Amino acid sequence: MILAGIALASPTPAAVPGAGIFTSPLILSLSIWVPVAVAIGMNFIPNPRGRYDTLMKQIAFFTNLGIVFILFIAYNQFQTFLPGMQFEEKLPWLPSIGATYHLGVDGAGMTMMVLSGIIGITAVLASWGVRERVRSYFCLLLLTQAAVNGAIAAHDMFVLVLFWGAAIIPAALLTLGWGGPRREAATWRLVAYWGLGTAALLIATMTAYAASGGGSFDMDVLLKATLTPRVQLAVGVALIIAAATRLPLFPLHGWVRDVYSDAPLGVSVVIAGSASRLGAFLLLRALVASNADASRLLAPLIAILAALTIGYAALVALRSVDLRSAAAHLAMVPGAITAFGFAALTPLSIAGSVLSLFTGGLAAALIVATAWTLSDRAQTRSLQLLSGLAPRMPILTWVFVIAALGLLGVPLMASFPAETMILFGSFKTQPVGAFAIVAGLVLTAVALAVLVHRVLFGEPNHDAPAVSDASLGETWYLGVMAGALLWVGLFPGGPKLPGTEQPIFDPGLVNVMSAGLSDIASPYVPPNPAATQ
Amino acid sequence: MAGAVALVLLGRAPRRPRRWAPLAATLLVAVALAVELWAGGTLGTYLTGALVQDRFALFAKAAVLLAAGLAIAVTDWSDEGAPAIGMAMILLAALGVMIVASATDFVGLWAGLELAGAAGVVLVSVRRADLGLRLLVAGGVASALVLIGLAFVYATTGAADLSTIRRVAGSASATLPLAIPVFLLIGGLAVRAGLPPFQFARLPVGLGASPLGAGIVIGLVAAAALTVAFKISAALVPLPAVFSPYLMVVAAVAMVGGGAAALATRSPRARLAYLAAGQVGWVAAGLATHYRIGLGASLFLLGAFAVAATAGPAVMAGADAGEFALAGMGLLRPARAAGIAVVFLSLAGVPPLAGFFGEFAVASAVAQSGGFWLLALGLLGAVMSMAAAVGTLRAIYLQSPPDESRRAAGARLPVLTRLSTGGAVALFAVIAGCGVFANPIISLADQGAEALGLR
Repeated sequence: MILAGIALASPTPAAVPGAGIFTSPLILSLSIWVPVAVAIGMNFIPNPRGRYDTLMKQIAFFTNLGIVFILFIAYNQFQTFLPGMQFEEKLPWLPSIGATYHLGVDGAGMTMMVLSGIIGITAVLASWGVRERVRSYFCLLLLTQAAVNGAIAAHDMFVLVLFWGAAIIPAALLTLGWGGPRREAATWRLVAYWGLGTAALLIATMTAYAASGGGSFDMDVLLKATLTPRVQLAVGVALIIAAATRLPLFPLHGWVRDVYSDAPLGVSVVIAGSASRLGAFLLLRALVASNADASRLLAPLIAILAALTIGYAALVALRSVDLRSAAAHLAMVPGAITAFGFAALTPLSIAGSVLSLFTGGLAAALIVATAWTLSDRAQTRSLQLLSGLAPRMPILTWVFVIAALGLLGVPLMASFPAETMILFGSFKTQPVGAFAIVAGLVLTAVALAVLVHRVLFGEPNHDAPAVSDASLGETWYLGVMAGALLWVGLFPGGPKLPGTEQPIFDPGLVNVMSAGLSDIASPYVPPNPAATQ
Repeated sequence: MAGAVALVLLGRAPRRPRRWAPLAATLLVAVALAVELWAGGTLGTYLTGALVQDRFALFAKAAVLLAAGLAIAVTDWSDEGAPAIGMAMILLAALGVMIVASATDFVGLWAGLELAGAAGVVLVSVRRADLGLRLLVAGGVASALVLIGLAFVYATTGAADLSTIRRVAGSASATLPLAIPVFLLIGGLAVRAGLPPFQFARLPVGLGASPLGAGIVIGLVAAAALTVAFKISAALVPLPAVFSPYLMVVAAVAMVGGGAAALATRSPRARLAYLAAGQVGWVAAGLATHYRIGLGASLFLLGAFAVAATAGPAVMAGADAGEFALAGMGLLRPARAAGIAVVFLSLAGVPPLAGFFGEFAVASAVAQSGGFWLLALGLLGAVMSMAAAVGTLRAIYLQSPPDESRRAAGARLPVLTRLSTGGAVALFAVIAGCGVFANPIISLADQGAEALGLR
């Protein structure tokens, strides 16, 4: 009942005191262009021989803190009972082809923006150890975050393609410049797969544009135009390819191992946490929310890809001898679960997937970051050497266990309601897929159990290099992600004053994400037999 | 023209031009640009109708003057063998493109194209006579093909005047006697622009010429050839079957070939030349759509291309020695490095720069005309181009500068002057600004396409 209540959120839930008082028309633009302006501005600060490297880090940190503050205002001011887009901005950009600078977020978009804010600040903290070319690093990191925010807020396909493609170059340069031994391979794979995804997105956009008469790229017009079934199918397949390269889904996951293993930690966190979630967000925004017929037609394909992804990721993680590689593959699991929820096409599963955008991003980023930090502190990535570390790494042990539980979606974790809603919502429409996903999750649980047992609780390996526990800085960035997972798990509807139903300071992620969800899910509500009689 | 002659005379004078000459030439071009923008909006005909001033001419001339001005400003003049000749030749090449942009008949098109090509040959010969000869021979082949094509179009339609040809084409049907000369004409223009697979002259020249010489050949000569293609396409627009398929093939080969070759090569100058060839392919794809939105988008992209491809080699200065010549440029010459970065990214079509906006607009026109196979090939080329641009950015921003004592002659750092720094900043601002503030510029390009009589 509770889950159904979340999925079919009442259009008039209890508003947070003060919601809607402050509505700046520039909130979304600020979250995109402030990092860009700061990144450009950083280049004008003289930094002879890296003298002001710490200042550069502080600038990046406080910029992200500022963005989190802006997003916190937006989150608090978000009107959970309004169905449409909020904080909308619309300006003509290329009127001759119908492209507008149109930004806006609904509940799902706001959820993604919150995720991006948390991941942004975590990425800066995780990058505190960068020593070489510090200014360039943080400039590129800010540009990546700006591009991700832009892609989330975009409500025009032209703007979406622009930011979707713009994220590639800074992410590739960060991997190439500050990555590990396999950084070259990681970079070219990232460029190739994400480039393919951008090309697929552009083809989907152009196909819909041409078929709808070429008047506008606005999502409200373009994605809701009446198209022939053949065109719908072509657009849908191209969108799935674009999403699968970014999320990623099997078999378009070729960049995952190298990037998550060899990109610098902060970059891995951004990619696993927010940039890759854009794939699932695209499925929601451009397919599920816009084109019910094509969604129904292509749902089995998405379900098959999701099930294959989970099974493949778990099997590879089981056989892996490299901790970071195992974690990289396990980080694919939450994305596949999110995609499966969209394939199930029920209000409950869609709601679960929207929540899973947030929880999956955090869980994926946390498992990647924990594996990265642990292998760094243990001075090896080899699972043949890593063993019995729990007594010597108590903090990392706790975080690793939280990451594993978050990935599996156990109670008290934010991923629990998300995965439960997805699975409960999908058994009617995708029973075979749901069983396959559950089987994949069981395999994932086995892989995680083996990994945790071997690395943390096995016999200590006396041949392994010396280890040390997480530093205070490392505890901070891991703690922020773990804390966010636990906070939403404990207070999905926001903390409330005792004896009341009134949320205080946090309207509750579940309330915020529900805004507009009933509109998205309305084509998939099963007909009521009583009403038809 | 007067400026170019003055500069040639200055080069012959016993007292060689001093440091003020590049600044003076830049100011001259800036004044010409201001006059063009101020007075060019007024329609008019000159030389008894041989030249016309319309919105198309206004856009093309403004873009070419901007490209020439920026190229002069960012050039490291200590690296140019004959600065006065260099400045004069780029002005003459720009004049050639401007003549083409205003031409109303075959004579004007021919004269402008040859003038731009000849200016390139002269400047390339100053440093490398052998390359100048190679360019001359390739230019001769291109000229022969273009001339034969023009002559047979004249013979078939009975007119050399573009508006008359358009009128005749409106009442005629596509025939082989018209299709064959157009094929030769487009082939000649492709050779002149040095598009793959006709890069046999352009690539060695791009590698061996002085930076400004390479800029003329890669940028302005290709812009002249494309402007001729615009005029011819607009004249034959009632009969798209005689030119559109050729342009599609040229576009497909250039986009994919340019991207693949840019990815394969390690030399920054060659990479820039191939990226430019890929973008020329996008312009040709827009022309192949043969309607106003497509040509408008192509015209916008032509402007972005002209600026990036002309000023690109100049802002790279002595990078002809190899990728290591750019190593650490971001640290040593930040303004110049930013200019190089936006040039590469814009030619690769990476958002949010001018090249992306142009290619997106062309892509929308190609999609509307149903050319999805061409769009898919273009995107394939764009992905390869993007990967190639990442390779160059790595050298600029991620590699450490080489030891000064081990710098080869071709890898020496460009001399730092206020003009070149200001020029690099302006180049960055123009390429980035044309993207973000694309609306008025693309509207003007659309008016330019309308001025060619397209609906």
